[in-house]
Formats: sequence, C-alpha cells, structure tokens
Amino acid sequence: MANDEQETRGYQPPKVKLSKRLKRFYVKSSFWPPLAAFVGVFILWELAVTLFHINSITLPAPSDVLVEWLNSFSFYLKHAWVTFYEAVLGFLLGLSVAFIMGTIMAHSTVLERTLLPIAVLANVTPIMAVAPLFIIWFGFGTLPKVLIAAIITFFPMLINSIMGFRSIDENHYVYMRSLHASKLEIFLKLRLPNSLPYLFSAAKTCVSLSVMGAVVGEWSGSTQGLGNVIMMASNYTQTTRMFAAIFMLAIMGVSLTNFIRYVERKVLYWHVSANDWK
Amino acid sequence: MVRRLSYIEVKEVSKQYRQRGQVTEALHDISLTIDKGKFISLIGPSGCGKSSLLRIIGGLVKQECGEVHIGGVTPLEAQKKKQFSFVPQSPALFPWRTVLQNMRLPFQVNRKADTETAKQHEHELIELLSSVGLGDFIHAYPNALSGGMQQRIGIARAFGSGAPILLMDEPFSALDELTREKIGYQLLNIWQEHQKTVVFVTHNIREAVLLSDEVVIMSPRPGRIKKVVDIQLPRPRNAELEESERFQQYISEIRALLRQEWQV
Repeated sequence: MANDEQETRGYQPPKVKLSKRLKRFYVKSSFWPPLAAFVGVFILWELAVTLFHINSITLPAPSDVLVEWLNSFSFYLKHAWVTFYEAVLGFLLGLSVAFIMGTIMAHSTVLERTLLPIAVLANVTPIMAVAPLFIIWFGFGTLPKVLIAAIITFFPMLINSIMGFRSIDENHYVYMRSLHASKLEIFLKLRLPNSLPYLFSAAKTCVSLSVMGAVVGEWSGSTQGLGNVIMMASNYTQTTRMFAAIFMLAIMGVSLTNFIRYVERKVLYWHVSANDWK
Repeated sequence: MVRRLSYIEVKEVSKQYRQRGQVTEALHDISLTIDKGKFISLIGPSGCGKSSLLRIIGGLVKQECGEVHIGGVTPLEAQKKKQFSFVPQSPALFPWRTVLQNMRLPFQVNRKADTETAKQHEHELIELLSSVGLGDFIHAYPNALSGGMQQRIGIARAFGSGAPILLMDEPFSALDELTREKIGYQLLNIWQEHQKTVVFVTHNIREAVLLSDEVVIMSPRPGRIKKVVDIQLPRPRNAELEESERFQQYISEIRALLRQEWQV
C-alpha cells in the first residue's frame, strides 16, 4: 500500500512541449487562423502603400479606410441596411418560388420538361443585362433589386430542390409504398427531410449571390444602398469610400453565409456532413 | 367439397420485365399457398424471381398473369389495409429520426387503415427493441449504429407495426456471417412470440432450414418453383438443432436440388 501511494505521487503525465500545444490549439481553432490571415494581409497592405508611396486614389491604406468607415459609420450602416434587406427579401422570394416549383416539377415529368427550359433561360441570361430593364419597369425603388436577387437565387435553389426530392433511397421509397403511404405522406415524411441537405448547400452560395444581385441592381439605378455608395464614390474617385463600402459588403456576405451554416448545424444534426463540423 | 382458401394464395402467376425491347420472364406459372402464421422461405440463385414474387405478394409490383389473394382480397387491397410490413435488404431507417421515432413511423402513415391508436403501442415498441438488445438506443440516431443494429431495428419495426404479414427481402445479406447467425436466432425468438406470417427471401440454405416451416426452392430463367420442402423440425428452434442429423439432411437435400440447376 505504501508502494501505491508512492507510485501515484510520482506519476507525471508526459509534458507536451508548449510549442506543440499552441500549434494544436491554433490548428483546431476556427477563429484565430482567419484572423491571423486578415491581419497579415492588412499589415502587408499598409506597408506596401507606405513604402511604395501608392496614391490614395489608386489604393488607399487600410488605416485610411478604417478612419473613413468609423467617421461616417451611421451613413454606411444606413446604406448597408438597404442592401441587406433587398438581398434577403430577394433570397427568400427566390427560395420560395424555387421550392414550390421544385415540388411541382419533382412530381410531374410533364411539367418538369415544360418549365425547365424557362428556368435555364433565367439562369443563363446575364443579370447585368436584365437589371436596367427592371429599373425601367419597376422604377428606382426596392422592387427591382429584390427581383434581381430573387432571379439569381432561383435557379440553383430549383435544381437542388428537385435533386433533393428525387434522390430518395430506393429502399425507403419501397418501404413507404408497402405501407400504402399516399404521395403527400411520401413527400412530407421522406422527400422533404431528404432534400434539406441539398437546400442548405445551395442556400449558402445563393445568399451571397443575392447580395451581389442587389448591388448590381443598385448600379443600374438607385438612391440608396452600398452599391449606390460605390457608384457615387467612383464618380468622384473617392476610392477610400468605395473600399469602406466593399468591406461592408464582404462582412454582409460572410455574416449571411455563416448564419445559414448555423441554422444548418441545428437542422442537419443527423446528416453525414455533421461529422465534419467541430 | 370446397377447399378452404389459404391465407396467401398465388395462382399461376407470371411476370415479365421489358427493357429496351427485350422481354425477360422473371416468373413463370408460379403457384403457392401459404397458411397463416407460417414462416416460409424463398430460396434460389439470383435471377430466379424470388424478390419479384415477394413484391407481387406485397402489392408493390403487378403481375402479368395469374391471381394473388391475401385473405381473400388482392394484394393492393391488403396493402391499403396495412397488412404488410416490408424489410428490405438494407435497413430503411430514416436518418433524421431517432430509433424510437423510426419505430413509430408505420403508425404515422396511412392512418385510415389503423384500427388502434399509436399511443397504445408505445411501450410494446420499446419492449421489442429491448428484446433485440437495443433498449438503450431508443433515442440514438441510425447513423450512430452499425449495419447489424440497424437491421435489427428494421425487424423490430416490422414486428411492432401490427401488420400480420412480414415480407423480408434478403434482410441479412449485407451482414457478416457471425452477425447473421446471431440475428437469425433473435428473429426466431421474436417470431416465436408474435407468430406473424413471414415470407423470407434468402440465398442461405442453413438460414432457410433453421427459420422456416417450408422452404420454397426456385430455379431461374424463367423463375419457377422447383420444389417445396416441408421442414419437420420441432419448434421452438435453437442452436443445438443445427447439430442434429435431421437438420443436416435437410440442408443436403436442398443443396442438391439447387445444384441441379448449374450442374450440367
């Protein structure tokens, strides 16, 4: 018994080197590496502008952009909000229409073959070409921007909806049929949950595409929004303001995408992809 | 004198599959009767149509000729009244539902055919899961379980669904030999307690003899019934039975019959 005590007292877990532990912590974290990357880029940028005496009209220093941003913070916030709700409304609209059409098309081959060409057309038409037309039709307000964001969202969400509804496991389908499940029951209990991973996958890209759509809409004619800010700033070659607006758009895109990823984590707890999440 | 109708009657059934202009006859003139509460195996090499026959009985596929009667009605009628429970080769568990929620699924579908409410079966479902050794996993998700565990749940679900006829399409094919044996005994125990009518498709002779009252031997191209072997082994069956001479004789007999197909 005395021996045991001595053994437990003398036992020390192997001391891992501090440098190794730090490295492990860094690599596993999802916050510090991106932060380090961006800080690194900004430092290099700042140094480049200073050392090479780059004109602030060509490329402003990040410190100048930050100052501009903080000085007119409420101004940028106001315009950011406009672009934000244009993008989000457009995204939700495109998503809803795509989902409904996807439901119809997954159940009817006839409708699918008839409607798909229209959807493809909506996809291949360059949005920038259509935007001015929308301004003529719908004016300078919010509506045309929302529609543009919706159209951009529409096609990927439609394709993924149909794929999700159709890619059900053969065994699951036969099992439901053996119970004489109705088409509606098969849809609600099998096709719909099965399609969620596909929908989330498309949503993550579509949400940032919507932001782009809203900005493009604003370039064609607007009085508000970050796209409008960029357009005005470029008219007066106020590059610093352009950068401030661009940064806000980047933050917006990242936030929206991360929000979708957060919701996805909650909803798709059962999915194979959940094993990759930390 | 009128012969009393068997529970499941298959009369001169034929099934053809058409693909790219070519017609394959999957089943030719199949006639079979299955009594209520019996465990029947369909055994044969691939291409003999045993899966097709199973699906025709279950109303999932329509035959070209012949008639099938389930308790006097067509398979589709029986399906509408939820007379069947299907166990496919790979476990058809919904990954977004827990084990217990998957067990409840038969009661949430086609409720018109339900005679009692799902609530009444809740504790029975949990008991069934315990009897296959998975009582601790009722709130687990299928992707956390092995293939053998998932298939056991598929079987428990079939027995717990309240359907009188179980259709099993090679349910143990995807499992390794050891798991297969173990689950086979669990299936025996569950069946002994619940006494459902089971139509069991397999290509494993030992399994067929151990589990069934009758083994229907089928031959391919086109699918026909070669012979129906009556397994006169006492119930309840157990592991010791596999050592007995009678058991081995049945296996030899069936193997010989199956060999005739490919020995020139």
